[in-house]
Amino acid sequence: MEGGGRSSNKSTSGLAGFFGAGGAGYSNADLAGVPLTGMNPLSPYLNVDPRYLVQDTDEFILPTGANKTRGRFELAFFTIGGCCMTGAAFGAMNGLRLGLKETQSMAWSKPRNVQILNMVTRQGALWANTLGSLALLYSAFGVIIEKTRGAEDDLNTVAAGTMTGMLYKCTGGLRGIARGGLAGLTLTSLYALYNNWVHMKGSLLQQSL
Amino acid sequence: MEEYAREPCPWRIVDDCGGAFTMGVIGGGVFQAIKGFRNAPVGIRHRFRGSVNAVRIRAPQIGGSFAVWGGLFSTIDCGLVRLRGKEDPWNSISSGALTGAVLAARSGPLAMVGSAMMGGILLALIEGVGILLTRYTAQQFRNAPPFLEDPSQLTPKEGSPAPGYPNYQQYH
Repeated sequence: MEGGGRSSNKSTSGLAGFFGAGGAGYSNADLAGVPLTGMNPLSPYLNVDPRYLVQDTDEFILPTGANKTRGRFELAFFTIGGCCMTGAAFGAMNGLRLGLKETQSMAWSKPRNVQILNMVTRQGALWANTLGSLALLYSAFGVIIEKTRGAEDDLNTVAAGTMTGMLYKCTGGLRGIARGGLAGLTLTSLYALYNNWVHMKGSLLQQSL
Repeated sequence: MEEYAREPCPWRIVDDCGGAFTMGVIGGGVFQAIKGFRNAPVGIRHRFRGSVNAVRIRAPQIGGSFAVWGGLFSTIDCGLVRLRGKEDPWNSISSGALTGAVLAARSGPLAMVGSAMMGGILLALIEGVGILLTRYTAQQFRNAPPFLEDPSQLTPKEGSPAPGYPNYQQYH
């Protein structure tokens, strides 16, 4: 008699737990925020949470590991090539000016043409190599700083420019290093201001209004 | 590693010029560092200073030569793309040959022919290696041959008994 009573008690408690869990699983607590006033007579399939209808506004599918914007590494070669070509153009003009000045007392003849041509090519190559080397140092420092910090902003630009100036003038002693760093800092600061001029102008106008 | 995509044709000239300059300065810098180290007087400070001076003076010149080659090559390549209306390895090979010829123009026609052959062969090797690499990489994406999903298509062998009746002959 006692054993039978115990077994009946156990089965009763198990059944009670099962019904309780089932009730909790099928309750409408998670759909309490959905307005169901006008949809009940139509169909139960219209009980949809409107939050799931919001779509993501991104329109591009990016490969794994790719960035949305291009970083400094993609821009480095264009910077170096652009500086080489710019240096070659300005150097050629300077070479033409120097060549004409040096040979102004000569008559137009083959030696004069050769002298002018040599001055143009030599000055063009010199300026192109110098400006290209500066662009290479600047881009290398920029990429290194970007990878180290993990961020892309104007601070990278100013730091890369300062380090470029310091390294370029490092053979002149401490005064050369300081002067080169100051030159790099000044130039890159001006460039950063030029880059952000539109934003600064807009913010100034907003403040004035 | 994300793929480095080349620029479209007008801007490719500037990009290739910068890339060639970078390769020349870095590669030339390594070689000039070694050469400057070996040519300097005895002493670690003398050798280090000799190495630094050699890199500082000679590396930009080597980079400049590479930049001229790369810029002219890309200019001719873009010109050929514009003329022919298509991009294929023949553009690169012709551009390499023409670049070698143009840069050796001051040395006479014989040197032009030699440099053109050198440039063409070099670019042919580069394009060949690129094509082989593309073929090798494409092998990894080849699909497996589709296996048969219907076992009824398998025809049983004649003369061999079914596996369910190993001793069928015995009961005859």
